[in-house]
Amino acid sequence: MLKNLIVVTALVLTASVSFAQDKFYTKTGKISFLSQAPIEEIEAKNKTVTAVVDSKTGAIQFAVQMKGFEFEKQLMQQHFNENYVESDKYPKSEFKGTITNNSAINYKKDGTYNAKVKGQLTIHGVTKDVETTGTFKINGGKIDATSTFNVLISDYNIKIPSIVKEKVSNTIKITVDCNLEPLKS
Amino acid sequence: MKRIILIGFVLVIAIGGWYAYKMYQQKTPDVVNQHPEVVISAKELLDAFDKDTAAARKQYIDKIIEVSGNVKRIDTTGSVVLGEDGSASEVTVGLDRRHLKDVEKLKTGSVAVLQGVCSGYDKGNGDDLLASLGTTIELRSAGVKEKK
Repeated sequence: MLKNLIVVTALVLTASVSFAQDKFYTKTGKISFLSQAPIEEIEAKNKTVTAVVDSKTGAIQFAVQMKGFEFEKQLMQQHFNENYVESDKYPKSEFKGTITNNSAINYKKDGTYNAKVKGQLTIHGVTKDVETTGTFKINGGKIDATSTFNVLISDYNIKIPSIVKEKVSNTIKITVDCNLEPLKS
Repeated sequence: MKRIILIGFVLVIAIGGWYAYKMYQQKTPDVVNQHPEVVISAKELLDAFDKDTAAARKQYIDKIIEVSGNVKRIDTTGSVVLGEDGSASEVTVGLDRRHLKDVEKLKTGSVAVLQGVCSGYDKGNGDDLLASLGTTIELRSAGVKEKK
């Protein structure tokens, strides 16, 4: 009787621990973007990106507050928020997708894995399908997720006045670097 | 007379150009030791957004905020999380590029005072993965507030 009770308790505990560790998250992820135009290079970084990865289903989600991007030049930051991404009207960008090769990632074993990600990216109120690759470095039960990909700002209905066309590139390089830890629920 | 007009014209162009160039080159200000527009605790800030999001957005977003709270996590790459243990709702603070070393002044579990610009609020929807993360209020361009 006692033996059975111990076995059942152990099973319940194991199940609850593994359930709790299905999801990984961060609220301090980093996303930066780089515009390399003939005259000028513009870079901005957001250090408070929220992300969740469900290791069981492969679902992945990011949320980025547009006003959280920090620029070096004051005027660029102002133009970015007021004229280009209109962050008062569209405060948040979001990515919702899945890791299509999730079964190839062993979340319980340290190592570096390639992740193929597919989903929908919403910027400036426009949603587009996006497919990219990234790296999941699993270390001590945490994930360091990195990815670099390009987006075209014209795809997201962001208009760049012709007067600054030489300063702002239509192709923006996005770099993602998120350290995700187990979500204890 | 013509000459004076010409010199005046050139001067106006030169001063205007110089001014525009200066404006263009101006760096984003370091707000950490500026006078804050709002002084509040992390808990009060979270409560304000949960109670009336629209009003809180108007009151806090884009404002220089001095926020105090329990340091829950420190990300040495430039972010700090304030909040109470046992609650998923948190204030996340992105440090200004000139204040990245401020993390050295912080200790997990102790109370800290940080100052930055309130840059957003988020709360996941029902079926959404982010829903389990509670309310999140974000600050950018921040740093640890020096005691005077």
